[in-house]
Amino acid sequence: MSEMWINMGPQHPMTHGLWNLRVKVDGELIVDADPEIGYLHRGIEKICEYRRYNEVVTLMDRTCYVAGIAWEQLYIMAAEEALNINPPPRAEYVRVLSQELQRLSSHVMWYAAYVQDIGLMTPFLYGMRDRDLILDLFQSYTGARMTYEFMRVGGVRNDVPVGFTDRCRKVMDWFDQRLPEYEKVCDNSTIFLERTKGIGVLKAADCVNDGVTGPMLRAAGVDRDLRRDRPYSVYPELDFDVAVYDAPDCYGRYRVRMEEMKQSVRIVRQVLDWLDRNPGPVLAEKVPRFVGTPSPPPGKEIYVERRGYPKGRGFSAMEEPHGEAMAYIINEGAEHPYRAKLRSPVFVNIAASKDYLVGYRVSDIPAIMGSVDICVGESDR
Amino acid sequence: MNATNTSGTARIITHVKETDPMEPEVPFAEVEAVQSKEYIPVIKETLTGMIQRGLDAATKPVFNWAGRNSLFPLHWGLACCAIEFAAGFGARWDGERFGVVPRSSPRQCDLLIVNGTVTWKLSHKLITLWEQMPEPKWAIAMGNCATGGGPFRTAYSVVPGVNKLIPVDVYIAGCPPRPEAMLDGILRLERLIRERRA
Amino acid sequence: MTDLTLATLLPALESRFGPDVKVLPSRKEVLGVVQVKGERLVEVARFLHDQGTFTHCALVSGVDWIEHIEVLYHLWSDALKGYLELTVETAPEEPHVPSVTSVWRGANWHERETWDMLGVRFDGHPDLRRVLMPEGYRFHPLRKSFELHEPEELEVKARHV
Ligand code: SF4
Repeated sequence: MSEMWINMGPQHPMTHGLWNLRVKVDGELIVDADPEIGYLHRGIEKICEYRRYNEVVTLMDRTCYVAGIAWEQLYIMAAEEALNINPPPRAEYVRVLSQELQRLSSHVMWYAAYVQDIGLMTPFLYGMRDRDLILDLFQSYTGARMTYEFMRVGGVRNDVPVGFTDRCRKVMDWFDQRLPEYEKVCDNSTIFLERTKGIGVLKAADCVNDGVTGPMLRAAGVDRDLRRDRPYSVYPELDFDVAVYDAPDCYGRYRVRMEEMKQSVRIVRQVLDWLDRNPGPVLAEKVPRFVGTPSPPPGKEIYVERRGYPKGRGFSAMEEPHGEAMAYIINEGAEHPYRAKLRSPVFVNIAASKDYLVGYRVSDIPAIMGSVDICVGESDR
Repeated sequence: MNATNTSGTARIITHVKETDPMEPEVPFAEVEAVQSKEYIPVIKETLTGMIQRGLDAATKPVFNWAGRNSLFPLHWGLACCAIEFAAGFGARWDGERFGVVPRSSPRQCDLLIVNGTVTWKLSHKLITLWEQMPEPKWAIAMGNCATGGGPFRTAYSVVPGVNKLIPVDVYIAGCPPRPEAMLDGILRLERLIRERRA
Repeated sequence: MTDLTLATLLPALESRFGPDVKVLPSRKEVLGVVQVKGERLVEVARFLHDQGTFTHCALVSGVDWIEHIEVLYHLWSDALKGYLELTVETAPEEPHVPSVTSVWRGANWHERETWDMLGVRFDGHPDLRRVLMPEGYRFHPLRKSFELHEPEELEVKARHV
């Protein structure tokens, strides 16, 4: 049979977010793939050059909308490097708490959407219900469900409210019970196993050469997690394991994410204990006014003068729920960043899609691309 | 032939003659025939119009009732607001209790919820999807981006408001709007349809 | 190479490529900053990949400094557990640098994006198309000469043209 190109997308039930996958098929077999993205390119990097440092945080939330706070911290870490500001320790712990809650909610969202695509309906309802519990926690201390605008250069906007830690512990207890149930739903389902095991294989060497990161890389057996290997924030003081699995297919990626959720619960517990023991400020005091911090309390005018502020460059890398994200900020001593560059893990994971699609069938595409966990806002920026 | 004091048909012929002298003149008898049969389409139109209006009067309330109580939005996700859109159909909010069931094909839908930022690159596809939907159809702009560009209105690639591309019936403010707000928007659209204002 | 350290790697790089590489003062969040001449970039990349264990090309980006355009590479090494920053300078008119896709396949889309956003041509790239903006778009938006405006402003402008 002759070969032909098929368009999947931009609007296609399989694509969460809009992107177009062109596959060349020979009958049912995929022989070539050419993903096309950019349908959600919103010019975030350019707009950053027109915003003050703290105003950029608003955009970062919208960059990756299932893991907004991860991108906030990514940007803030780079900006703090560029501006040479150190946040107080309690702020770091609140940040890590947000990180791990966000990882949990992002993975639950992935689980809800992915397993539904594969053909099981219950996980969608389970996942959306449990994700809302985490979003309620977020709402109680940031005021928003998805777009938080919570972090500031030099700390975070506000501390967690009274009684938050207990509420959070309760949710974690709930998740302790739920996570095994999630796995049971999938592992007892023949449909799920048939559609994921041995599908979408990308070997470790290919992963590394293609620049693929995150759960995809760890599912292939490469033991790399920036939280441990290039520690940032207060991760060195926390105790957790890196989830690695040695099956580079969709099933392995599912396993890695499940394990990461358990580890996140573990980290959150440790952070909550720390927060209970150590009160303190959450915003650094010496922050130049031009980054856009709220106006100072009277009698505390210790802000650095705006003009002639030292120049600098900031680079940060972190383990975002989808993979390794990076930010590069150039500060030219002005109110706005001179250049803000973001590296999105999803962008690279999509780019490599030819390597893990060729050889499978058209009906496998939703299972394979779903296991990549695509967030289009992040890949297109 | 003088153009000023003859019937409409004759005037057209004069016009043709003036602009293109090489055109052969239409014989007068034919013009006569056309004029003599002019009443047939008029009667036809009046009759069908009456029947249509009668049928409309009888069925419109039924269709209106059925349509407004089972709005089928297109299941697609543009950007951040799409996550709240999904949450609106999840366990806690359960949008389906209002008869709102997301469908995957535009041919089965009568409601387009634009839940996110529309870029110029996407604009052709958005219009295609809109045109693929059968009448009657409605559009909701969900979130600030679809309403007016939102935080990205200055960007070079973003359409500042989806109403530049398709007619919008209901705008929902928020960045993102909460699922309640989205459901409220749908209910408002239902009210507009009931009052025949959309 | 098990006993590889940064203290041996950077001098080895300098001695091998002579004046074509320059080790710039480092910052605390990267292992080192190395400036490379455009012509030798692929060789340096190959050396770092094979001998320096920099197997993962994390990021290719560019900065428009008006007088020149700087292309940046961030490379990750599993052995050294850190990022090395390579910078290459190129002219603002007809900017071009050699492509490193032959060394790291993962650089492919990053280079396409840099071409899209900054107009830097990557010689030897297998498929240099726009990736984010539609094909046929005339500008390179991250150039400093490209300015943003409110949409109303643009409409007014368009009416007066
Ligand atoms: S309105 Fe806000 S939340 Fe919705 S798509 Fe636009 S930026 Fe995202």
